[in-house]
Amino acid sequence: MTTSAQTSLLAVFSDIEPAADAIEQLRLLGIGDDCMNVISGIPVTEAMLGRPRQWTNVPRLALGGAVIGFGAGLFLAFVAPNLYPIVVGGRPYASFPPAVIILFELTMLVMLLATFLGVFLDSFFPNYRPMHYVPEISDGKIAILIECPPADESRMITTLRKLGAESVQFAEAQHL
Amino acid sequence: MTEKHEHTAERHLRKKHLMLDPLPRGQMNAMVMESMHATSWKFWVVFAVLAAITAWGLFYSWGVLMLDGLGMAGVNRPSYWGIFLVNTVFWIGISHAGTFISAILRVFKAEFRRPFTRAAELMTTFGLIQAGFSILMHMGRVWLAYWLLPYPNQRQLWPNVHSPLTWDLLAITTYLLASTMYLFLPLIPDLAMARDRSTGWRKTFYKILALGFRGTEGEWTHLRTAMNIFAFAIIPVMFSVHTIVSWDFAMATRPGWSSTVFGPYFVIGALHSGMGAVVVVLAIVRATMKHMDYFIRTEHFEAIGKLMLIISMGWGYFFFNDYIVQWYGGDVWTKQLLHWHEAGPLGWMWFAMLIFNVLIPWLVLWNRTWRSNPWIMLTVGLLINVGMWLERYIIIPISLTINRMPFTWRMYEPGIEIPLGIGTLAFFILLYLIASRLIPLVPVWEVQEGQMAHSLKKVGRETVVTVAELE
Amino acid sequence: MKPIDLSLFGAKGAIVEAAEGKWGMAIDQDLCTGCQACVVACAMENNVPFVGEIDAGYGRSMHWIRIERFWEGEYPEIRMTPYRPMLCQQCGNAPCEPVCPAYATVHSQSERINLQVYNRCVGTRYCANNCPYQVRSFNWRDYTDERVNDAIATLKNQYNPDVTVRRRGVMEKCTFCIQRIHRAQDRAKAEGREVQDGEFAPACAQACPADAIVFGRIDDLRSRVSRLIRQKHGVHYLEELGTQPRVTYLVGGAS
Repeated sequence: MTTSAQTSLLAVFSDIEPAADAIEQLRLLGIGDDCMNVISGIPVTEAMLGRPRQWTNVPRLALGGAVIGFGAGLFLAFVAPNLYPIVVGGRPYASFPPAVIILFELTMLVMLLATFLGVFLDSFFPNYRPMHYVPEISDGKIAILIECPPADESRMITTLRKLGAESVQFAEAQHL
Repeated sequence: MTEKHEHTAERHLRKKHLMLDPLPRGQMNAMVMESMHATSWKFWVVFAVLAAITAWGLFYSWGVLMLDGLGMAGVNRPSYWGIFLVNTVFWIGISHAGTFISAILRVFKAEFRRPFTRAAELMTTFGLIQAGFSILMHMGRVWLAYWLLPYPNQRQLWPNVHSPLTWDLLAITTYLLASTMYLFLPLIPDLAMARDRSTGWRKTFYKILALGFRGTEGEWTHLRTAMNIFAFAIIPVMFSVHTIVSWDFAMATRPGWSSTVFGPYFVIGALHSGMGAVVVVLAIVRATMKHMDYFIRTEHFEAIGKLMLIISMGWGYFFFNDYIVQWYGGDVWTKQLLHWHEAGPLGWMWFAMLIFNVLIPWLVLWNRTWRSNPWIMLTVGLLINVGMWLERYIIIPISLTINRMPFTWRMYEPGIEIPLGIGTLAFFILLYLIASRLIPLVPVWEVQEGQMAHSLKKVGRETVVTVAELE
Repeated sequence: MKPIDLSLFGAKGAIVEAAEGKWGMAIDQDLCTGCQACVVACAMENNVPFVGEIDAGYGRSMHWIRIERFWEGEYPEIRMTPYRPMLCQQCGNAPCEPVCPAYATVHSQSERINLQVYNRCVGTRYCANNCPYQVRSFNWRDYTDERVNDAIATLKNQYNPDVTVRRRGVMEKCTFCIQRIHRAQDRAKAEGREVQDGEFAPACAQACPADAIVFGRIDDLRSRVSRLIRQKHGVHYLEELGTQPRVTYLVGGAS
């Protein structure tokens, strides 16, 4: 996505407070929220940093999985026994109480599979391409990745430094 | 003077609680990484012994069993089910601890869970593997086990949805897959951490498993959302698994088995053995792995001890509930069975079960000092697991001896079940050993998150702990 | 008064099952001498293997019918109760059937008896646990393989070609000699008539020297078995479980 016309800056902060300040200042400098991304070693919520809410498809995918699982359960509990009807113990071919169990298990199974898959789809996992990253992030640092046309590069760098960034560097995509 | 007092109180609190004793994340990362790398010759000796026991007890003996048939085992008429089923129920029980700690305690925001959620979740996955092995050993024609999967044969005959074993298969499969996924999701950030600090083959290993995780806002949001869904959804799945295991017995037309209270009785029994096993694992991990005494402290044993005491009381309640209803009913066969439990040749098991599951926990766990001692807790945890194994032994082969056809009554004597049972135990520990060298055993990011949320606050003259809700 | 519609409660199926029972058996315990001829005849007819002394002593004998003996009182004041030949009761409402995950034991709609489908059985042994009569037997080893069981070497020569030889790991049980039922039905059909009462008998009934076992149509009120099971001293064992057994025991008729 990064074209040659764009600069990638990676500013590393050691705390939430300066990082949140920096995001505010960058916004004042005319950098849109969609040009920034925060990379962190612990889950720092959007609210803490004053960032817009992140969109996630995981709950919808989970719901979709639940519906599919429920449907599979309906098939297994009510349709499958009628495909080759056999009497066991004088019971009806398909009956409701055992169906409850089948419906529950299959709903949960497919829902959780879809949730898991949702994380992969939404986060583009697995992804082994080169990416902007510094290993200090997993040491608990908070990094702001700015990908913008190189308008106010130098001003941005000084602002970020002034706000307490430990380091500001032109980021280059690298293999993790 | 008072100021000095306050300092002492504060120092004491910080020493006691991991959450109040923060270290820089980099240092914690380094400690966890070192705990994986620091491997002494003793580790390899234990590893070799366990590998040998697994090879003999599990794989060789299972080969013999498959080639020669179930005649090698002790099962007979009337004990058509034996130790294989005892072990299945036992291992599924062990597996409940992981979910209990990482899901129920997460949902209820019990902060002491943070450093050992992963250690407990690993037990879930590895325990379920042993349960799966045990149930497969039990089958007469294990090579046809795939016939139980929900797919039709050429004539559109699907598995029988009336059978508790079909429910069991679905429930255990759901639980195994769900708990493995739930183990993996919170592990991704720690794998990324390990990737950033490794070289050589480990780098490749972590790089593949970390899936390219960096920790962007989006990644964290998707991960957190998914973990939240899992934490809530896996709780009813966990309850359903052991309830359905209990229905394998409760649905049968047998004295002593057809009991309506078996579902919750089995669930609480599973938690009982599971928590006992967690405490054993934690004590051993803390004693043998480097830096683990920083992450796992006596406060954790103390907190788990309280839970164990409550669960032990719950188990006693359900046991008595089951017992008195059966006893009061006065059915002639049930009466014979209860008498057989207590006064039969294996009556000592019945009393040992009550001593290990109720008496010892109740005598020991009320005391905060004893509860805080890892070695006492390890002993109690081991005894509870012996007691819970005996409980399943009483429910399966001993109860099967008594049926409505006295002509068939006959004792069950285990055969090849013994090496196979030892083999599953060795394989469980072996898997755990391997995992402890490859997987960051402490979820560092969760610990750091917790440490950020905790602080000390003065209420009047007293210094107390406060927790901020960060989520 | 309007009669209650039984089908509302699912009771109709059970009543129909009880009424439409086809094949049944009456066993007169007062006549049984405990000679075990039925056990031997059953084993020969149905290729039930001999399991050897050690396994038999350990509760692994595979006979589809067994003679149960009990004593009453304390030695020396003991009294024997009548012998009780116990075999699959061919329950109309069988507890063994619904618990099998593989549909390996099912109810036959045409014969109204229990079937065991050997080639679908995977050996979970749930059916045997759930059988209140404990009459199912399991192939613990390859008893029909002479490398495993040398006693079978000569017995192999007298296998009944009409009956499958079961392998290790599957459950089996009394079938009311379904191969004989079918042969009789086929012959009757070829000759354009109904199967007559007493035209054939399962191996156990055929071999019984005391004529204690009588087999036939229980839905035919004139058949011998049908008359016997209507005797006042006829009992169904464990009928309180609602299993609807097809075997009626006659006991204490002389006293």
